[in-house]
Formats: sequence, structure tokens, C-alpha cells
Amino acid sequence: MHAAWFVAVAGLRRALGIGALLALAAFILGPLATLLVWAFAGTWLFPNLVPEFSLKWWVYVLSNADVGKAIRMSVLSAPTATLLSALICIPAAYAFARLEFPGRRLLLLSFLSANAFPKIGLYVSIATLFYRLNLMDTFAGVVLIQLVNTLLFMIWIPTGTFRGININLEEAARDVGAGPLRTFFQITLPIALPGLIVAALFAFIAAFDEAQGSLIVGTPNHITMPVLMYALVLSYPQPVGAVFSVLLSLPSVILLLATQRYLRAGYLAAGYSL
Amino acid sequence: MSASREADSAGHRLASGGPAPRVHGDRRGWTRGVLGLALVLPPLLVLAFLVILPAISAVVTTLTPAADAVPAAPLANYAEVLGTRILRTGIVFTVIVTLVAVAAVFCLSYPLALYLRFVRTRMAALLGVLFMVPLFVPVVIASFAMITFLVGHGLVSTVLYHLGIERFPRLVYNATGIVLTEVWVSIPFAVLILGAGLQAIDDALIDSARDVGAGPLRTFLAIILPLNAAPTMITLTLLFIAIFGSFTIPYLVGGNAPQMLGVTMTSYLTQYLRRTESATLAVIAFMIASVVGVVYVASVSRRERAAP
Repeated sequence: MHAAWFVAVAGLRRALGIGALLALAAFILGPLATLLVWAFAGTWLFPNLVPEFSLKWWVYVLSNADVGKAIRMSVLSAPTATLLSALICIPAAYAFARLEFPGRRLLLLSFLSANAFPKIGLYVSIATLFYRLNLMDTFAGVVLIQLVNTLLFMIWIPTGTFRGININLEEAARDVGAGPLRTFFQITLPIALPGLIVAALFAFIAAFDEAQGSLIVGTPNHITMPVLMYALVLSYPQPVGAVFSVLLSLPSVILLLATQRYLRAGYLAAGYSL
Repeated sequence: MSASREADSAGHRLASGGPAPRVHGDRRGWTRGVLGLALVLPPLLVLAFLVILPAISAVVTTLTPAADAVPAAPLANYAEVLGTRILRTGIVFTVIVTLVAVAAVFCLSYPLALYLRFVRTRMAALLGVLFMVPLFVPVVIASFAMITFLVGHGLVSTVLYHLGIERFPRLVYNATGIVLTEVWVSIPFAVLILGAGLQAIDDALIDSARDVGAGPLRTFLAIILPLNAAPTMITLTLLFIAIFGSFTIPYLVGGNAPQMLGVTMTSYLTQYLRRTESATLAVIAFMIASVVGVVYVASVSRRERAAP
């Protein structure tokens, strides 16, 4: 087998042996493990390896009024942004995959432009525009900031999915007399669904986790959960930030577990093999 | 009509699920063209309103001299920003930190992507899951987790203390902390893009290189590296732009001075209420990134064209 040969002779196997695996695991999981322990620590004094466990910080965080407001704000804004994104992007993705129109390739590429700007520079520019349009510190402003982060996922993953569907199936439905809309809803959409779910999942996570743009546009009255995290990290004891981190991760973790069967490498790679 | 439909569908079959073939001259093709444009218009408008318009607006703002400026020089804002020593230092610091972080991510990710592509063991499967973990962790949480991990009395110091090591360089609230966290956050992204490119390389090519006697290093340099050139360029440029334009990581994990541009820009905008200076810094960042961005778009469009 060429694969074994390639690695054995290249010495890659030695370089990426058990030691490397452990180092990588420690580097990737270490910070998360520390965070998780802090979330259930009452006090953790140096140089003890284990803290005194307690749930008192959970009570503190969950009874905090700012936390409640931030949760409400996130739960309202991220689904709104994801839904809006799906409504405008999925028909567009179908058009990119199936219809021929002038400038198709260039327009598809233009969705990469959001990635061709340094994010923070883009947000500062959006803020200068939003000041003029009175969109600063509004719900609409926060949703728009989240929306811009979802576009790429919602255009590129569905475009790839629609392209991957055998056109013969659609043609066959049309040949037996189904109209274009019926063909789309009864043939194309069900086949494309897993790809669309993955796209929506990524769009939601991107919207829900957006922090830096919402910090600029939403402060001081439209604070989402990730934005509140800045204040918690900078001016509260460590367990508070840790407890809130666990809360903030919950929606993404639950969604990932619920949709894990759709998250086959293919769809994920489709989003990244831009 | 039915003849045209048949020709059309034959064309589709040839394209085997690829983009629709060009249909010139007939009314149906024209309607489909208009329909296509109409369908892609809404997201394009959002893009124009949230990316193109703000960028233009920022450039116009920074080129407009302040009302009290006498004489009104068009580039006065840029001269002022670039004449401020602390901002100049910040720009240089940002570029250096970004380059170091990109190099570190790349040196970790390329071997990892190669390993995941060519090895089918249980350990590889384990690594394949492990490296994706940071993808699902918000950057704010990642930064905070990194602080608790690396800080003076954090887990790393505790473990080192028990191993008898009490003196070591500070790992957080400085450039080291920024680089380590940027690496943590960027690994999945880099491995996924590089891996997707490696996946597309035909095994037969590698086998035939071996058959004619090429060693592994030669196979890598002569076959794998050039065939994976576009994904490599895309990875490098996207990493540069993402790290260069980051705010959360340098804000939470970085030190007080020097600061990266993202932090300076935001504090000029929200704390000092100096919008013009902030926009000027943003445009300077755009210009530095645009040099890199051109490479990115060129690589992607070359790949799009090569795709069936």
C-alpha cells in the first residue's frame, strides 16, 4: 500500500507518533478541560491540582439580570439572522447551481469578499455607516452583523449540494408533468436537505457566536451572550466566566449532537473546499 | 419545445450534474437567465450593503478632511495616523504577530493534513476528530480557556510547578499568548482546507511516481506540493487576513502595549470616540490585507475554473 510506504519512509510516522498525538491532545483539550473544571470550582488555589468543587457560581450567574437579558437577546437575534439568511440564500444557491446567467461565476466569487477584508476593519467601517443610518445599538443592527457572517455558509454549501444532485431526477419529474416549483419542493429539496441542514447549522453557529461586530454595533443596550463574555472575562472572578462559557457553548453542542449524522466529512469539506 | 428540452437534458447529462450549459438565443434560456439574476439579487444586495458600501464609506470618510483643518489636505488623516508613533508601532507589531502565527499554524497543519490523508489507522481517526474541536468553540470562549490554561497560576504553571519548574517565560497577556491562541483557533480551518486539496490528488499519481523510483521527499516536492498549490495559497492568505483582522484574541489574551490593530481600532471607535482615526486605521488594514486578498481571489477563481 502506497500510503504506509509514504509515511514510513518519510519519517512522518515517527514525527507524528504517540508523543505528538498526546502533545496535540494536551494543547487542544487542555484549555477546555481547565475551563470546565473552573466552572464547577468554588475556589482553586495554586498550586493545588484539584479545586474545591461547588455550584455557588452557577447560582450567582443564573440569578444575574444582565445574563438573562443577554440570553434573551441571543435567542432572538441568532435564529432571526439564520432564517433571513436561509430565505434569501437558498434560492440564490439553487440559481448558482442550476441556472445560467451573465456573471454567474463572478457573482458567486463575490461572496468571498467578506472574507477578503480583515473582519475588525469591516466592522469598524460598518459602524461608521450605521452611525449615519441610526442602526447603532439596535436589534436590526445586531441581526445585520450576524447575517453578514452567515452568507458564505448559506451560499457555498447549498450551491455545492444542489450541484451534486443528479439533474436526471429533476428532468424525469419535469417529463412526467411536474411544474418547476413542484419539482423543486418534491424532488430537489428532500435530496438536498442534509446539505441545507449543515449550512443552516454553520450559519446559526456563526451568528450565535459572533462577538466583535456585535460588541461595536450593539453596545450598550443590545448585548448578546458572546458580547457579555468580554465583560465577564475582564472584570469578574474566573469561575463566573467559566460558568457562562458552558452556558454559551450549550446551543452549539446540542445542535451538533442533534445533527451529527448529517455532518459527514463531505458536507463539511464542501464548505471549506472553497 | 420538446426537442429543445431534450437537447437541454442531454447537455445536462454530459455535464453530469455540473452547472447548466449555456443556452443561447432561445427564449427559455433568456427567461432562465433573468430568473437566475433575480434569485441571486437579494443576498448580493445584503453583501453590497454590509461589505462594499461600508468599505467605500470608510474610504470616503477618511479622505474628507476635518472641517477645521486648514489647509485641507486630502490625505491629512493618513498623515496624522501614520505620524503617530504608537500607531506605527502597532501596525508593525500586528504584521509580525500575524506572520509568526500564520507560519506556526501552517507548520502544524500541513503535516497533520498529510497524515490524515495518507494514514488509515485508529490513531489517525482519533486525530481526525480531535483537530476539529476548536472549530466549534467560539473565539471568546477559546481566548478565556487559553487564559485559564496559561495564566500565572493556571493549569500549565501548576503542572510545571509539580514537575519542579518554577521559572519560565510568561505565556499570556503578551505576543506569545496571542500566537498560541490564534494557533489553537486556526488549526481546524487550515487542516480542513489543506486536507480537501490533498483529498483531490489522485492516488494513482503518487503510485506512479513511486513506480518510476521517486523517493517520498521527491514525491512530496514534485507531485503533492504543486498539485496542492491553490489550497495552500488559499489557506495562507485566509489565515493572514483572519489573524490580521482579529480583535477578540489580542483584546483578551494580548498585553497592554504594543496592541494589535484590531484592539486599537475598536478602542478609538468606542472609547475615544475618534471615528475618523478608527476608519483610517481600518482602511490601512484593508490596504495591507488587499495585497494578500488579491492572491486569495486569484487562487480561488483558478480553482473554480478548473472545477468541472
